[in-house]
Amino acid sequence: MKLPQIIDTDIHPMPKSEDEIKSYIPMPYRRRYTFDSYKYYSQPVQESRLDVKISGNDWIASNPDIVMEEHMDRYNVEYGILLPRAFVSSNPFIDMANNICIGFNDWLMDKWLEKNNKQGRFKGSILVNPQDPIAAAKEIERCANHPHMVQVMVDSGSRAPFGHRQFYPIYEMCEKYDLPFALHPGTDGVGINDSNTLGYPASFIEYHTLLCTGYMSHLVSFITEGVFERFPRLKVVLVEGGVSWIPPVLWRLDAEYKALREEVPWMKKRPFEYFTENVRVTTQPLEVPDNKQHMWTMLEALDAQNTLMFSSDYSHWDFDAPDYIMRSIPKHLIDPVFSETARRLYKLPNKDLNLEGEKSETLQSL
Amino acid sequence: MKPYKVCKVEDLKSGERKLLTIEGRNIGLFNVKGKYTAIKNSCPHQGAPLCEGRVEGMTVVKKNRELEYIRDGEILRCPWHGWEFDLLNGNSIFNPLKCRTKAYKVTIEKDPVETYPVTIENEYIFVHI
Ligand code: FES
Repeated sequence: MKLPQIIDTDIHPMPKSEDEIKSYIPMPYRRRYTFDSYKYYSQPVQESRLDVKISGNDWIASNPDIVMEEHMDRYNVEYGILLPRAFVSSNPFIDMANNICIGFNDWLMDKWLEKNNKQGRFKGSILVNPQDPIAAAKEIERCANHPHMVQVMVDSGSRAPFGHRQFYPIYEMCEKYDLPFALHPGTDGVGINDSNTLGYPASFIEYHTLLCTGYMSHLVSFITEGVFERFPRLKVVLVEGGVSWIPPVLWRLDAEYKALREEVPWMKKRPFEYFTENVRVTTQPLEVPDNKQHMWTMLEALDAQNTLMFSSDYSHWDFDAPDYIMRSIPKHLIDPVFSETARRLYKLPNKDLNLEGEKSETLQSL
Repeated sequence: MKPYKVCKVEDLKSGERKLLTIEGRNIGLFNVKGKYTAIKNSCPHQGAPLCEGRVEGMTVVKKNRELEYIRDGEILRCPWHGWEFDLLNGNSIFNPLKCRTKAYKVTIEKDPVETYPVTIENEYIFVHI
């Protein structure tokens, strides 16, 4: 089976060095900036795939040509949605965090979306700092008209669930410019952010498994706080937060709603209706249990046909290969998941890649 | 099964590996502290080039919370998601009976077409496919 043309909704471009990203961060913040992920919850085995090509001493996934050739061309990826990782929302120094966003956005637009994007296959995310929603709204205004910026993104780590009204300035801008609002895991329970679990996980395995609890909290907050009534055109993208937990949580919310509606009377619809209308979810890391049928039942329950979009997480360690996901989901979901839903969401025109034969993978049939 | 001559014994030192393609099959040949092993260069999980991963040991519990790092040099970790495999038989550590990659037979022989007397210098490593 040949891979269809794919829209990959989660690719992580990196600066080639700390100096490169520093040169885009406004002074005087540039002088104090150091690139940090987060100390305690780092992957202890390997942060990224070890077989990814690098040029010289550059950081991994920092060369647009290599990402294009090794990932996009190899797997027939028509468009790649780029989500830079800056971990700003854990930073106690709000102005610093805002300026890191400016630096990352300018770097992404310059290096990835303009200089090295001849075919227009890289699409970008406007990184904002949710700790300062007013500044975040300004930053969206500044970048929204860039032709290759297709969404707004934040880390899932936060001091408050994203349904709270303090975040409205961000959603106003998302609606104004018709940009989805994407959450990506990271900075949960780190720096100034609250822990999304009971206390602090001891190990990375505990931390990483429970990242979905932060997503549960955000999703239930969006719905019960009435965000989708106030911003009916807002689309929220839950990136890398897991998939199969969603139906049970919404079932539970639905059951509660029947009795407790009076607490949240601005909720006009049932939870699943908001979900299918306003929320999209990405695949990786797809939970694939020994009995795939169990997961397929969940996919059906969350209307995966209209809500689920393929993501690889290139070049991180928990990368999902497109052919593996094709083998893991039911056949009728392949087109919607691999391109149709993302194409509608990000309004991406059909691009015939017309790759030469040797570049597109031939796969064993299912 | 057919034997394929790969290299002279002295060309694969302890801790070294060679990535081979034999009859269209990608295989990794390893010298694990003097034992030669060959396994399929494809991870049973998602098909990553397994034999490009790091060779390490593994952490186990000695008693209660006391840990021990054992079998250094005998465990291969997939370069993608980091699953651990026993280099000596291709079995995964987390589920050795059900999750494994194919191991091929490896022998050390003199090259049958050469007529020199057998000494260690002209012994070769053969992988059997
Ligand atoms: S592909 Fe090897 S561990 Fe996933």
